[in-house]
Amino acid sequence: MASVTVDPDGITVQARDGECILSALNRSGYGYRTGCRRGGCALCKADLVSGEVSYPVVVADSVLPAEEQAGGACLTCRAVPHGDVVIRLRDDRLRCTSSFLAALAGRVTPAVERNI
Amino acid sequence: MSVMRLGYVHARVTDLADAKQHYGETLGLRAVHEEPGKVYFKGWDEYDHHSVVVEEGGVGLVKLGYKVSELTDLELYEKRAQQFGCITERMSAGDNLEVGDGVRVVLPSSHVVELYHEMTTVGTDVGSHNPEVFPRHLVGVGVPRVDHALLTTSDVATTERFFKDVLDFYPTERVATTLDDDAHVIGTWLTAGNTVHDIAFIEGPDNKLHHFAFELGDWNEIGRAGAIFSMDDVSVDVGPTQHGITRGRTIYFFDPSGNRNEVFAGGYVAFPDRPCVTWTVDQIGKGIFYVSRELNERFTSVLT
Ligand code: FES
Ligand SMILES: [Fe+2]
Repeated sequence: MASVTVDPDGITVQARDGECILSALNRSGYGYRTGCRRGGCALCKADLVSGEVSYPVVVADSVLPAEEQAGGACLTCRAVPHGDVVIRLRDDRLRCTSSFLAALAGRVTPAVERNI
Repeated sequence: MSVMRLGYVHARVTDLADAKQHYGETLGLRAVHEEPGKVYFKGWDEYDHHSVVVEEGGVGLVKLGYKVSELTDLELYEKRAQQFGCITERMSAGDNLEVGDGVRVVLPSSHVVELYHEMTTVGTDVGSHNPEVFPRHLVGVGVPRVDHALLTTSDVATTERFFKDVLDFYPTERVATTLDDDAHVIGTWLTAGNTVHDIAFIEGPDNKLHHFAFELGDWNEIGRAGAIFSMDDVSVDVGPTQHGITRGRTIYFFDPSGNRNEVFAGGYVAFPDRPCVTWTVDQIGKGIFYVSRELNERFTSVLT
């Protein structure tokens, strides 16, 4: 297990072994702007603020050029955390898309907190 | 004398094994030839050697092949393409596996289109002597054939003019800013025969792939395809829904490298004298996704 924290809101979820960042967030009830979910379109690109990721599935260089990767970009639909990571979304904010999944993942959403 | 159809789509994939699983086991194309770094597929109702080539390394489109009805068409289209100002190149038999002589053209949109007259005939999977209506043991969705491709171009009007003037296509539908003659055209759906489209372009970056599509019979088959996509964890973009443009029933989905595919059923029969349909940009949501009438952000931003 590794923790995935998403800035600027600082929301943290747990990623299972081998699970990519996007899947970990979706499984925990969170969503953000994505496209193909298969590493082809770059819509899910974010900045890796800290930690390490790897790409078990090959990603096209045209989608995530080596220089961008070296500069801290990561493709969240393919990047698998190795240890705890912090990412920052680009021009987007994390949204809670399912309070059920968020509750299941052990996160209390603001809506549940306020007893709505 | 004419272009007959979209004969082959040659696309890049990041992982050949994953692509083989998707195009072979999920969509049910048959792998007819494999070599290092490439797999060739055909649909069950296609009789030419192949219609899809996937090549390992990157994502997006390598090229499209359009088959012409006469050998002499090649020379004619080559001359017209040159007059139009396009770069052309002769290809010899064997440059593409099982494909005869041809002409390679770089479109105004920078995409590569190959015109050819011959490809080795292997026959449909039901044969042509007293055939059954479908093969008994189809795999996955069991798509019968490749149907069309949608590409992006920075200049829709010029690209459309190329297909009309050089290749004798005609537009069946357009999206334009207004209904006036001088309106800015941001999308065009073109055919060379009687299918509702053999190729389409929408405004966007040059040399990008929006999707390529496989034909299915009707709504039921589209629904069944959707169920197979769920079983195989295919990333689904939109659908099942219907397009206003072409009236086709559809699911957009992604291959394991992120190239968008479509299963498409039931566009109307096109004729050159049928008035071209115009959609105004304010109605593009309804034109593309007739049921929800809403374009998602992915429609314009997810390209490979
Ligand atoms: S969503 Fe397309 S690359 Fe991640
Ligand atoms: Fe289509």
